[in-house]
Amino acid sequence: MRQPAGRPVNAQPYLRTFATPAALCAFGFLAAMAAVLQFSLRAYVPGSLEPGGFTLANFADLLKPLYARVFFDTVVICFLTAASTLIVGYPLAYALVRTQSAIVKSILLVIVVTPLFLGEVVRTYSWIIVLGNNGFINSTLLGLGIIRQPIQFMFTTFGVVVALVHVTMPVMVIMLAAALSHIDQNYQKAAGSLGAGPIRVFLTVTLPLSMPGVVAGLTTAFAWSFSAFATPQLIGGGRVNMISNLVYQLGFASFNFPFAASLCVAGLALTIVVLSMLRLAARPLDNIGPH
Amino acid sequence: MKRLLLALFALAIAVPAQAQDKLVVSIWGGSWRDLIAETVAKKFTAETGVPVEFITGGTIDRLNKEKLAKGNPESDITFTTSHVGWLYANDGLFEQLDVSRIPNAKNLADEARISPFHLGAWAYVYTIGYRADLLGNVKFESWNDLWKPEMKGKIAGPDFDPSHIIAVSAILSGSDAAHWEKGQEKLKELKPNFKAFYTNDANSQQLLASGETPVQIVLSMNAYYMIGQGVPITLAIPKEGAVLGVDTVAIMKGSKKADLAYKFINTLYDPDIQAEIAKLKKGSPAVLNAKIDPEIAKLPGVFTTAAQWKQQINIDAKLRAEKTAEWRKWFAENIMN
Repeated sequence: MRQPAGRPVNAQPYLRTFATPAALCAFGFLAAMAAVLQFSLRAYVPGSLEPGGFTLANFADLLKPLYARVFFDTVVICFLTAASTLIVGYPLAYALVRTQSAIVKSILLVIVVTPLFLGEVVRTYSWIIVLGNNGFINSTLLGLGIIRQPIQFMFTTFGVVVALVHVTMPVMVIMLAAALSHIDQNYQKAAGSLGAGPIRVFLTVTLPLSMPGVVAGLTTAFAWSFSAFATPQLIGGGRVNMISNLVYQLGFASFNFPFAASLCVAGLALTIVVLSMLRLAARPLDNIGPH
Repeated sequence: MKRLLLALFALAIAVPAQAQDKLVVSIWGGSWRDLIAETVAKKFTAETGVPVEFITGGTIDRLNKEKLAKGNPESDITFTTSHVGWLYANDGLFEQLDVSRIPNAKNLADEARISPFHLGAWAYVYTIGYRADLLGNVKFESWNDLWKPEMKGKIAGPDFDPSHIIAVSAILSGSDAAHWEKGQEKLKELKPNFKAFYTNDANSQQLLASGETPVQIVLSMNAYYMIGQGVPITLAIPKEGAVLGVDTVAIMKGSKKADLAYKFINTLYDPDIQAEIAKLKKGSPAVLNAKIDPEIAKLPGVFTTAAQWKQQINIDAKLRAEKTAEWRKWFAENIMN
């Protein structure tokens, strides 16, 4: 096909058309972020929706031990969630990639993807039914005579992490499955032919080669659970709080939007710092993986 | 054929005219919207021929939307809680009411006359609701009973608004809501007895129905809904009184249907409509001349006389609007975390 005169062969005539919606969205996000930043630097006026003059008092308030503890708890819950999701998700992803049976693959895929089709609130309420004092787990254990008193799962960090693992599981499994499917099975066969057992093959060949997927999955699960709201709100019952719950409690439930905005800005900064640290820690793994 | 064309023309000009005449009411969704649709709106439309359209949403969502639409409101009438109404009023979103245009308002209880901008539509209480079947022989005659050691790890309260228990703690400490600081130490002593905090009515229902928190500082209307669903809840009215709550109605500033809006509010205060609302929601009518079913009238937390209104703990709505953020922050820092 002839190109119009004076036009480079590798021009991308549709780029501008495709990029325009993205640019508009980016502009919208930036405007919203600017508004949040602006609110975080304004004073709260009791009984009014309008913020007052500029102040740093909102950020000074964040230095109180309570807020430091909630920020720390949030990071811990996110790490526990990401690590637990990895432990539970890896075998699932491995089985999904390696099984030869189309039926097993389909069943696994349904198990993995189903949580994405449930709303966060519905999913969380179902966990309340499972974890409650009269819930499925406690009723079963009490019925079998294993325990005499219900175990307290609700309103605990454990309960929140369990429910969050359910939320982050699909994305972790999909990322791990993508990484595992790129590993050339001849590497494992070669290790086996040299006398390595299945466990040694997994630990010295499969696992290291899947590390890019592990890092990507961990990072995404961490970032995803960082913004969790309904799960810690309902399972935590005000006893286990993450940053988003504080934003709701102190901002929206009491109309103190400037303080809520300062919590958002601090939360965003913390996310960037933690994810940057994770990226730095994972840098040595950049040269590992299937090539 | 000519007649048919004329009829079509008449219809074409009539439809937009009718659409323009509708009255837009902003209210919470679900059963609250249905409540107004089946009572006030039905009668209002029957009397005026003007349909009522609803805008529904959460308290804060609706407040923010109206703030953004200031001067050109999305709705003509807004229902909201009394202290949130003050936020609308302070921001110039409500029209100052001419009460002479609402003849039925002459029967309003004093406590329902919240401000020159918004008036009570119905009332309820926040009080102690409990599962007697799970607690055994426990009685709540005073708010002080919540502080008993046997209540350790059994109580839930709303996480969105601690004003009720803050006011109660102040009163039990010999003070009042305006001087709430005097109740701080008392409230801190209650901390071990809180097991959880609920985030909305559905969450409150789930915690009580499952027995996870067998004692709650609960909205009376919500408790009656659960009782209707078969959850064996007992509502106690402590000797100090329950904490009064009033949902209010107001006309939005800039509404072009002020006449209709006044008629709508007057219909709301019709004694029969108020009795119907009380029956459907197990709440208290805002007017004192409503003849409500004796079975409803005798329920704890439902009051029909001026004396009964005065027996409740009434936190001034303006004070509450100004103090909510401070109370909420203190509560989060000292009780919840």
